[in-house]
Amino acid sequence: MKVHNWLRWLVFILIALIMNFPIIATLMTAFKDPSEVMRNPSLWPETWSLANFATVFTISDRLNIYGYLWNSAVAAFIGAVLPILVAFPMAWAMSRRGYGRAILFPLIVNIRALPLIIFAIPLYMVYSTTGLLDTRLGLGLILAIVNLPLTLLLLVNAIAEVPLELEEAARVDGARLGRMIFRIVLPLCRPAFVTTFVFGFITGWNEFLFGLMLTTRDAVPVTVGASFFFASSGGGVQWGVAASVMVVAALPPLLLGVIMYRRITGSMVAGAVKG
Amino acid sequence: MKPKSSIENAVLASPLVIFLLAMLGFPVVLSVIYGFSEARFETIASPTFNGLANFRQVVADPAFWQASWFSLRFGVTTALLQCALGLFLAVYLAPLVRRHAWIVAILIIPMVVAPAMVGLMYRLVLHEFVGPLPYYLNLIFGSSPSFLNIANVFKTVVIVETLQWTPFAFLLFLTAYEAIPKEMREAAAVDGTRPWRMFWRIEFPLMFPTLFAAFFVRFIDGFRVFDNIYTLVGPGPGGSTTSLSIYIYETFLRRGEIGKAMAAAILLFISAFLLLALAQQMMRRRG
Repeated sequence: MKVHNWLRWLVFILIALIMNFPIIATLMTAFKDPSEVMRNPSLWPETWSLANFATVFTISDRLNIYGYLWNSAVAAFIGAVLPILVAFPMAWAMSRRGYGRAILFPLIVNIRALPLIIFAIPLYMVYSTTGLLDTRLGLGLILAIVNLPLTLLLLVNAIAEVPLELEEAARVDGARLGRMIFRIVLPLCRPAFVTTFVFGFITGWNEFLFGLMLTTRDAVPVTVGASFFFASSGGGVQWGVAASVMVVAALPPLLLGVIMYRRITGSMVAGAVKG
Repeated sequence: MKPKSSIENAVLASPLVIFLLAMLGFPVVLSVIYGFSEARFETIASPTFNGLANFRQVVADPAFWQASWFSLRFGVTTALLQCALGLFLAVYLAPLVRRHAWIVAILIIPMVVAPAMVGLMYRLVLHEFVGPLPYYLNLIFGSSPSFLNIANVFKTVVIVETLQWTPFAFLLFLTAYEAIPKEMREAAAVDGTRPWRMFWRIEFPLMFPTLFAAFFVRFIDGFRVFDNIYTLVGPGPGGSTTSLSIYIYETFLRRGEIGKAMAAAILLFISAFLLLALAQQMMRRRG
């Protein structure tokens, strides 16, 4: 028994190191002194330095990390909140009355299985005529579509868990439907809102294709902005700086994910099994 | 009574339906118009109807079939590898996870990093001068393969995708494994069933529906892959890593063939739709 667990720990540590290797390697490279990066490809920095991060956070005429981070934050926020707002009333009707269960529900839930490129091209044209191209709002709106399926699924499940007696009691007291939904059901769904928000925010922050196609300068998200650091100023890639920008871009969803891992794993499993 | 609640339902549905129509209704109409029209960026406002010409062009393009074949192969290979590795990890590490739940948090880290970032990170990791992987391979074996040349690039992107998304399969299997009723294992143990036999005779069949779901989700994700491959190698040497998504992207933005890109997107939509319907049919039949 003891020997067995020792082996299990070994397997865990090995697989954790292998799967997280790109992240570990990037983090270590980011802390190397810029002059050391080309000389020392090993994982361990000879001298620890923050010089690469300083370069990343210096605004140049081409690169503005603050702008990219802000764009990602705003677009991911819109993309996480908007689907909750539009889907919540419908989720109640679906959960309690089975309304839209036959067609609308599977239609929306299946959106997430479609290749995103299918939406990207027509949206590019719609956006270019409506002025949404290269705006944070435009990016946020399409991220809301990306997040809508799982949001609806999780909200429908959450509402089904609300005790029916509470709703009936409110109805007996003469509360109108809208009032009952917003005063009784909505507060009880708060944990589901947090889960869907966190999941939606991470998905939105990590999205790349729409950022690549629908933004050019003003609304570039950090996933796309980070790749600009690779194609920088003439003389090849500055790997230390590139590593630092990746650390900065990956950190917010990574921290959120590790802190909230229970909620995230729960919604991933629910999303896959019920879909 | 009835008319009142149907009005209520319509009101409750309206935000969602309006949002969907605004965001997807119009683009769908545009897709159809441009799919059947000749259009380039210079003439984007005035597409001219040309029937099935775009579709004929797509179907006659060897690059389209190469991309389809890549996506299919990539989707199947990565889904299989992820399910196999994920299943092993879930079953083998389950006793540890029961006592140390934080293990899961460590193992899901790859999934919460943007695939586009992971692709960029591997550019560094695999780089022949600054990359740690070639450095250590050289140190230990005296040589290191060139990961991104035409002979190795498919294997490389398959491994990159597998290492990032195996945690997803792991999670699903872990949940399914822990959901197996204790009594079933105990009853089998009383009968003297050995662990290996227990797994194949009892646990594996009980987890089979999850296996199917995991395979399907991972296949779909692999089939539509864009981000990590695009940031790591782009279309790849000789177009060897051009997935369907990358093919459509390149046709649209690089070559400006709007109608052709749209036609390819419609074909992709139809094939994705058929795959989805097929999978759901199979799942329903399994109950």
